Order: sequence, then C-alpha cells, then structure tokens
Amino acid sequence: MKKSLLVLMVVMMAATLFVTGCAKAPAGPTALTLAQNKPEIDSALKAYAALWGSANNVDVTVKSVGGTSGGLGPQLKADFAAGDMPDIFAIDGLEAYKEWENLILEVSGEPWVSKTSVAFKYNGKVYGFPVAVEGWGMAYNADMLAKAGIDPASLVNYDGYKAAFGKLDGMKKELGIDSVVSMAAAIEMGWVTAHHNFNSLLANGLPYGDLSVVNDLLAGKVDAKRLAEYADWVELLFKYADKAILTTGNYDSQVGAFATGKAVFLHQGNWTDPNIKGANATFKMAFAPHGSMKQATDGIFVAAPSFYVINKDSKNIAAAKKFLTDLATTPEGAKYMVQDAGMIPAYSGISLQPDGQLSKSVQAWSAAGKVYSWSQYYFTGDFRDKILTPIYNQFATGKINKAKFIDLMTKAFIENKK
Amino acid sequence: MNIKKENSLVFWLFLAPVLVAFFVVIVVPFFMGVFYSFTNWSSSAKADGGLRLIGLQNYIASFKDPAFAHSFGVTIAYTILNMIVINFAAFSLALLVTSKIRLRKVYRVGFFVPNLIGGLILGYVWQFLFNNAIPFLGNTIPMFAALARPENLMLGKANSAVIALVIVGTWQYAGYIMMIYIAAIENVPVELHEAAMIDGATPLQRLRSITLPMAAQAFTVTMFLTLVQSFKQFDVNVSLTSGGPSTMFLDTPVLGTELLALNIYNTAFLSNKLSEGQARAVVFFLVLAVIALVQVAVNKKKELEL
Repeated sequence: MKKSLLVLMVVMMAATLFVTGCAKAPAGPTALTLAQNKPEIDSALKAYAALWGSANNVDVTVKSVGGTSGGLGPQLKADFAAGDMPDIFAIDGLEAYKEWENLILEVSGEPWVSKTSVAFKYNGKVYGFPVAVEGWGMAYNADMLAKAGIDPASLVNYDGYKAAFGKLDGMKKELGIDSVVSMAAAIEMGWVTAHHNFNSLLANGLPYGDLSVVNDLLAGKVDAKRLAEYADWVELLFKYADKAILTTGNYDSQVGAFATGKAVFLHQGNWTDPNIKGANATFKMAFAPHGSMKQATDGIFVAAPSFYVINKDSKNIAAAKKFLTDLATTPEGAKYMVQDAGMIPAYSGISLQPDGQLSKSVQAWSAAGKVYSWSQYYFTGDFRDKILTPIYNQFATGKINKAKFIDLMTKAFIENKK
Repeated sequence: MNIKKENSLVFWLFLAPVLVAFFVVIVVPFFMGVFYSFTNWSSSAKADGGLRLIGLQNYIASFKDPAFAHSFGVTIAYTILNMIVINFAAFSLALLVTSKIRLRKVYRVGFFVPNLIGGLILGYVWQFLFNNAIPFLGNTIPMFAALARPENLMLGKANSAVIALVIVGTWQYAGYIMMIYIAAIENVPVELHEAAMIDGATPLQRLRSITLPMAAQAFTVTMFLTLVQSFKQFDVNVSLTSGGPSTMFLDTPVLGTELLALNIYNTAFLSNKLSEGQARAVVFFLVLAVIALVQVAVNKKKELEL
C-alpha cells in the first residue's frame, strides 16, 4: 500500500516536471504579450487583439490583472524576476514609470503622439500611450436636483454645495433618499479618498498641469488656507454621506446607492457607467465640479488613467509599435475603444461616442476645456495608501475632528519631505 | 551490490524528486530571501538599478514604522483569541459529534465544509453578512433595531473588526480542527470510560480525567496548527477588512486590523519596498518559529504515554 502510494507520487512528480518543461508556447508567428490593469475591458481587448493579430500574423496574448491589493504591479515584478516581462505593459503614472524607467522605450516619434494631448511625458519625451480618458467630479442625479429646484450650475464652490446639501437633506422623505452623497471612506476604498478626493487639494482651480501646490506639498510647505478650505469640503461630504456606506461600504454599495436613487450625488468617475446601467438606472445624470474651495472652480478632473509602454528589451518592438499605432489610428481600433470597451478615446479624429451618460458628461467638460489635472500620482502609493487613507478613515468614522484632520495632514506632508 | 546498498539506493532515488522540489522551491528561495532583506532589491527596472547591499537599513526602517509595531500587537491579540475560540469550538463540536446524537455523520460533514471554501471568497461572503445581512435583520425585526445603526457595524471599528476576523477564522477552521479531535477522542480506550462509570464518575469527571489527558497529543497538534494558521492569516484579512478600519497608534493613524502577513504584502507591493517587506518577513519567520517551538515544547510535557 505504502509502496504503491510512493510510486504514484513519484510518477506524478515526474509527470508534473515533464509537463511544465514542455509547456513552452510553440514558435509560430511573432508573439506579442500585453499586460494591462483594467479587467473590465479584458474580453473586448482580447477580441480586438485576436482580430488585429490574424490580420498582421502576430500572436497577441492579453493578460489582465486588476482589483485591490496592488493589481498589476506585483504581477509585473514577478514577471520581471522570472525574466518574462511582457512586450507592452500598463503604468498608471510617474511612480510606476520610475519603477520601470530603465525598461521603457521612448516613443516620441510615433504617429499617434500628435493626435493626443494626454500622452505620458517625462523630461519632455513621450513614453506612454494613453489608454483612454477618464474623469471624475460629483456625479449628480439631474432629475432629483430639478425636483428640489437646485441649478447644477450653482455647484461650483463650497458655499454652493453647502446650500444644496442642506436643502436636499431636508427633503429626504420627498425624494426617497437615504443620504445626500454616496461617499466611501473605508480602507479598501482608499482610492476614493486618498487618491481622487485628495486630488482636489492638489489640482482644483489650477491651470491644467500646474504643479505649484504639488511641489510645495512635496517640499513640506503646506498652504494652511487651501488645506483648511479643503478640510471643510471633506467634512461636508462626510457629514451628508450615509454612515454605513461611508465607513464600511465597498465599491458596489457606494455606486449602488446612487444607481438605485438612494443618494443624489456620487463621488466617483465615468467608469461607473456600466455599473449604473447594470442597475437599470433611468434617470438623467452628469458631473458637477468639486467644491473644495471658496472660489468657484468650474471644471472636473480629467486625464488618462493609465498608459501602455513598450518594453525596451522586447524582441518585437516593431509589432508592439504597430499594435499601438493601429489602436489609435484605425477605425477598428476606434470601434474597440469606444463601442466595445466603452472608453472615451484619448485621440483626435475619432467621431464615435461612448453611450454612458457620465462618459458623455466627461466629454462635454473636456470639449469645453473646463478640466483640471490628476496630480495624485506625484505622491507615492506608500504615502497615499498607508499614511493618508487611515487619516481620512479616522475623520470619516468620527474618531478625529476637523482640526485634528488638518493637523495630521500637515504633519504627514512635513514627515513625507524627510 | 548487496540488498542493503540496493535498498538505500532505491530509497534515495525515490526520495530525490521530492527532495529536489523541496530544495528548489523552499530552501533556496528562503536563503535568497534572507539575502535580499539586506539589499535594495526591488525587482524592477529603476534608473539607479543594480543590487546593492545596504546592511540593516531595511530592518531599522521596519522597526521605526508604527504600522509594523501595531501589526505585531494586533496579530498577537488575534492569534491568542483565535487559538482559544477555535480550539474551544472545535473540541465542543468534536464532543458533540462523537456522542450518541442522531445524524452525527451529517454534522461532521457540515462542520467541515466551510474549510473547503477559499479564504478570499469566505471573506467577501462574511463582509456581506456583516455589512448588509445583519443591518437588514435590524431593519426588519424591531427587537434587533440596534444592529442596523451604522455605529454598531462589526467592521466599522477596529476592535470589533478583529472580533469579526476571529468569528470568520473560527467558522472556517474549527471544522478541520474538530476532525483531529474526533480521531483523538475515538482513540481513547473504551475500557477506561467503562471502569470509571462503574466507579460512579460523572460525564464531566470522565471528560476532565480521561478524555482530556488522553487527547493531549491532539492538543499539541491542534494548538500548533491554529497558532501558525492564525499568525499567517492573510486571505480572510484581505477580503474581509483590507486592514481597516483605521485606528490611532503612537499618535499616528494606522490600519487597525492589518495582520502581519498583510502588512508584509502591503509593504512589498503597495509601497513598492520589496526588500523591506522581505526584511519584515524574516522577522516574522523568526518570531513565529520561536513561539511555535515554545508552544510545542510546553504541550509535549503534558502528553501521556500509555
């Protein structure tokens, strides 16, 4: 009995080793691997890649890694350690660029560069192919605002929001809502507070690409007035949010509350379109600017959320370049980006429009030129996720007051400089 | 070649595949890991690339981080609670399903099944229970109205979130530990119980003086398993709480339920400090090894030989 078990184990072991040894992909046409960080577009991208691959005799493999706990980053590190880096991979901004600086090919001369304004640039050279354009502001339920007699155009600063929130809060029964704002500040939702909301402090009201506030904060210089106004805004959002969703809710419960008409505002971006559609929401919605300042800030935050970069050491640089160029310049590429993946294209010359209401709103704001930057990526993930997220969470759960919030934020910036 | 030599050759030959695998996937990575903890290794292509030895910097930075110290505290508290609750629940269940109760075979299977569900999924399921099902209960049944109040949500406060982790940990693991106890309890010779019953011992006396000492060997195993399992808890931690909610520690806001394994993962991959995460993992290994050895030594002393 024991002997036969042992023999069985040895045979299995040998078989496993043999199979893994043989599992190398057969060398057919050129092989191209793309690793990207948006699982929601995985099937659309794979379909496009297969189509493009058969037309160009390239075997394209798409790997999608996303979600909480790091997403694509850890996977790339494992691939790198194993000597198996993809030919094209996604980065989300400066920090990720620095992580892979020695491996990223400069692509300033590519035909798509002149067609976009949001390519990833470093020291004046282009490195990253913008995957799409995304935007966030305060998504609002237009039907409810109309019912409450609130003009969305008044929602451009702190006072506008304070008046609107107060009024809506008094009409909870009439509107059938649980809370005014759907906001999430649990630790797993740190990307809403310490990434997106945090960006209001960094970029709201400044010309696109203006890094003056970022640079000051990175140098440990805190503009007390700007921070105090921002703290008022955070306090306002937390005050009028549903406490359960605020402190323990996840993405689904946050978006769900808005989609099912239980909240008038949603602190999220246009990527929620499919989720809201999935909940059969029929009301009209659009984005309003953030009210993080006393002065009016008439614009929402729009940029490319991630960029495809080409691996300098790849054996198939030509194919990789062609893949990206075709994505941006051919009708098939445009169809994939806009219709199949539902994204807002980052390139001029594409007339197709995504059908999501919030995506359309983002397009309208950018067409009007009323946009502010995404500057949160100038701070490390370490700083945002491990230092700032708990501070917002403390404030949301009511363990600290606004004065302490300001104090902890100030200390965090000074500490970060060291 | 004589029989003895041939036997030993066969022995080693058959053992070789396992030994090679053990060496390649456990021993070598372990020592590489220890080495990396003294370097600036990042497994990426930074501009200032190149592996450099940087001495104890990673260890010093780890011990200076309040979040790491807090993780240690939480992990130890969680481990102690978890060991007590799991073993208590598992032993009670084992007594139950070894008694003459009807359908005991069905119960055995039922209690064991949660152990077959992956920790990640389990965490999300329980997150739904804590955040939605329990408040729903409070909203529908007036008697439990307090359950629906946001400030009473289990996952809303750091302390109760640790209890939530213990509840889920027990739900997942008690059935497995129960199996070990069942084997131990069924191995207690029937004549001991019969003799004690003739002498007029109550069930409680028999439990204390016969079952418990005779099952001491099982306790060594179960204590060790629950200790290591609790100390290394990761998947339920990620999906149930993600380390949240936050709490104040040494006047710094830190993640309130971030157990050590999650802290190491976050240091390595969220903060992009792979070598510092590696250093923490080495510290983690040393501490766990010492605690586990002490535990086994203490438990061994209590074992009985027939």
